[in-house]
Amino acid sequence: MALRSDDSRWGTGARFFHWLMALAILGNGIFGLWMTGLAPSLAKINTFALHKSIGLTVLALFFLRLAWRMGDQRPPDEPAPAWQRLAAHVTHGLLYVLIVAMPVSGWVFNSAHGYPLQWFKLFNLPPLVAKDDQVRHVAIIVHEYLFYFLLLVLVAHVGAALWHHFVLRDNVLRRMLPFGRPRKVPPPGDPS
Amino acid sequence: MTRTTLALGLAFLILPMTAGAADYTVQPASTLGFTGTFQGATFDGSFNKFNAAISYDPANLAASKFDVTVDLASATTGDNDRDHALPSADFFDTAKFPQAHFVTTGFAKAGNGVVANGSLTLHGVTKPVQLKVTFTPGSGAASLDVATVVNRLDFGVGSGEYKDTSTIGNAVKVNAHLLLQPK
Repeated sequence: MALRSDDSRWGTGARFFHWLMALAILGNGIFGLWMTGLAPSLAKINTFALHKSIGLTVLALFFLRLAWRMGDQRPPDEPAPAWQRLAAHVTHGLLYVLIVAMPVSGWVFNSAHGYPLQWFKLFNLPPLVAKDDQVRHVAIIVHEYLFYFLLLVLVAHVGAALWHHFVLRDNVLRRMLPFGRPRKVPPPGDPS
Repeated sequence: MTRTTLALGLAFLILPMTAGAADYTVQPASTLGFTGTFQGATFDGSFNKFNAAISYDPANLAASKFDVTVDLASATTGDNDRDHALPSADFFDTAKFPQAHFVTTGFAKAGNGVVANGSLTLHGVTKPVQLKVTFTPGSGAASLDVATVVNRLDFGVGSGEYKDTSTIGNAVKVNAHLLLQPK
């Protein structure tokens, strides 16, 4: 379980960021869609505050992840046609953009609404924009529809990973799985 | 009851003769504001309707008196949701308690300032409250600034889950800036 990635698999560091953020992003998205239907109450206010805290955490994790990745080598692409490798990288790039755009659009909405922004009741963060009804209306639509778009990109990302794992039976998913072991690649000429 | 009324009537007759504190009318530009905390940030609000009867003479504190009635439904804080929540049964409950009332019971010198002791009735609860008083005399007109901090939970403002002070702070600063015109 090497912290750093090597030629055959992602290291513990990269896998930690991948799965923690996957859980936080999906969980917070579903949580976010659900919470808007709650009746007004302090519990609702605290639920929204939790959603914002998790979103800010994802944003912070993204920058830590980026820093980690810059210092980490990455395993080379598994053998695949060029268009597939390109599609994979475009998908990853889109995911990175959305991982930033989701919390930032939420932060803009929160600022334009004039709400305070507190991280797990510990400290406050400044508004990104001034209070403005028009900005608020646009920001919440962007925030919501970016999540649907994120889900679409995830269908491609997860679908491709599963296709590699179950159909192509290669190491693409295994080398990112929390406790996965790379499949032994039979040496050339091995009859098994 | 009649005896009390009589005594009060007598007091009103006698007070203006014995006491020398100046009576003022409060000008419309006067403000009564408050600052609360929500999710770690402060917000400012104001009561747009209030009535203040002010009798004040720094040289005759014994004869001075503040009597203030506040229309609680007139509170605005710059946020629609909050402005709808404040008059509700969860907070001020203006249907049952439309007004808050503050009346002084005495004044005292404190350092080089003055404090006004009084009782505040809010949300059906009466408690002693002390105001810091800054009186600025002018030529005829004068201004009066008062400041205090009240704990909302002392008055039961914020019931049920809204008692949670980790989201809505307990201490609320209250400030008034009154422009006075002699009667």
